[in-house]
Amino acid sequence: MVYYLIICRSLTYAQRTAQVLERVGIPGWVQRSPKLISKEGCGYCVRIPERRLTDALTVLRREGMSPKQVFLQTAEGEYSEVRP
Amino acid sequence: MIYLDSAATTLEKPGAVPRASAWAMTHLASPGRGGHAPGMRAAELMYQLREQAGRMFHVNGPEQVVLTSNATHGLNIAIRSLVGPGGTAVISGYEHNAVTRPLYAIPGVKVKEAAGPLFDPEGVYAAFEREITSDVDAVICNHVSNVFGFIQPVGRIAQLCKERGVPLIVDASQSAGMLSVDMESWGAAFIAMPGHKGLYGPQGTGLLLCGGQVQPLLYGGTGSLSAQQEMPDFLPDRLEAGTHNVCGAAGLLEGMKFVARTGAGRIHRHERALAGRMMDALERCSGVTVFRGWGDSQSGLCSVIVDGLDCEEAGEMLAKRGIAVRSGLHCAPLAHRTAGTVETGTIRFSFSAFNHPDQVDQAAAAVRELARTAKK
Repeated sequence: MVYYLIICRSLTYAQRTAQVLERVGIPGWVQRSPKLISKEGCGYCVRIPERRLTDALTVLRREGMSPKQVFLQTAEGEYSEVRP
Repeated sequence: MIYLDSAATTLEKPGAVPRASAWAMTHLASPGRGGHAPGMRAAELMYQLREQAGRMFHVNGPEQVVLTSNATHGLNIAIRSLVGPGGTAVISGYEHNAVTRPLYAIPGVKVKEAAGPLFDPEGVYAAFEREITSDVDAVICNHVSNVFGFIQPVGRIAQLCKERGVPLIVDASQSAGMLSVDMESWGAAFIAMPGHKGLYGPQGTGLLLCGGQVQPLLYGGTGSLSAQQEMPDFLPDRLEAGTHNVCGAAGLLEGMKFVARTGAGRIHRHERALAGRMMDALERCSGVTVFRGWGDSQSGLCSVIVDGLDCEEAGEMLAKRGIAVRSGLHCAPLAHRTAGTVETGTIRFSFSAFNHPDQVDQAAAAVRELARTAKK
């Protein structure tokens, strides 16, 4: 499966992000940010299905919660940053 | 025992509070420190707590709700964030040591007292109007005096602060869970409150609602930005170093749900009715001085003096009769100085949602008995 990881500045912010997405029917899972992409140390991100990124970014922008960074996680477990 | 010391801490809690704390002890781990189920369950609980507080106190976002260990902890953060060495603060004449001691510890700080007469909201407002000048770094005011139950005109003081561009810190220790505490409409920089009084949570819990720039009081691990040595610049992490009191938070969440279900206004009216009953009974008793405010100026607690009897002795005598009250200066010598009771102290009766009129009657009868004995 391919996912997008929305990187959040804090756990609370990740939880809020997931909640905002869930309200509009976009499933979001709060999880630890993979070490490979978490340059500043420990952090949390919200994982969403690949096909929901555009909707998610639209909703988050509307709520004034534009993400810090977004990464694509491939089925092979590789990460690449995407510029929304 | 008849427990009438809820202004210090509410002793009887809704049943769900101890159950939740006990459950958390063995089921919830550290929030923000792992991705495993017990850690994420704890994170979910903390988020629910922040959301519940956000709804109750009209806070913009859950990240602005910081878990503290008590109101004093929150007030220390708030004061240290706004008042630096040589700074100036305006405080009411009814502040607790939780406000005056942190200020006293700041080198060269200037503290101006906006002291109005007891149970005179207009007088208090006029004092703030005089004292809030452009050189003031922060205004600090409790919503309700912990000694007399005097409800200070915080809404109007907040408006004054807005007009004059001075940040406001509200100590809601005696009002959260009873009166409307409104971060949004007050536009406060900070509101501090305990979790273990009117919110019916466990001791060792408190909340700080943050609307402005914050300075950490405690430095350490937050589970975020671990590679850098500076504390994170975002809330709540900036103010929540170290492992959270998750067991306390679990109980506090249940306490807050109880308040939300019951209605803060209903609890306030209940406590005020009990305080009114107590004051009615004691005002008729010779040798007892009752500090009573009229209209909306008094909350659900009352302070009295028994002539010829030391207040601490009276407290001891009541304790022997199975009535738990608080006597003395209540950690608020300033409030006693303002009201003119610093030499005598007072005996304070404070109520909760779980007290009944018959308990008030028994306590009033005991005080009448003490007054009769003291006269002889």
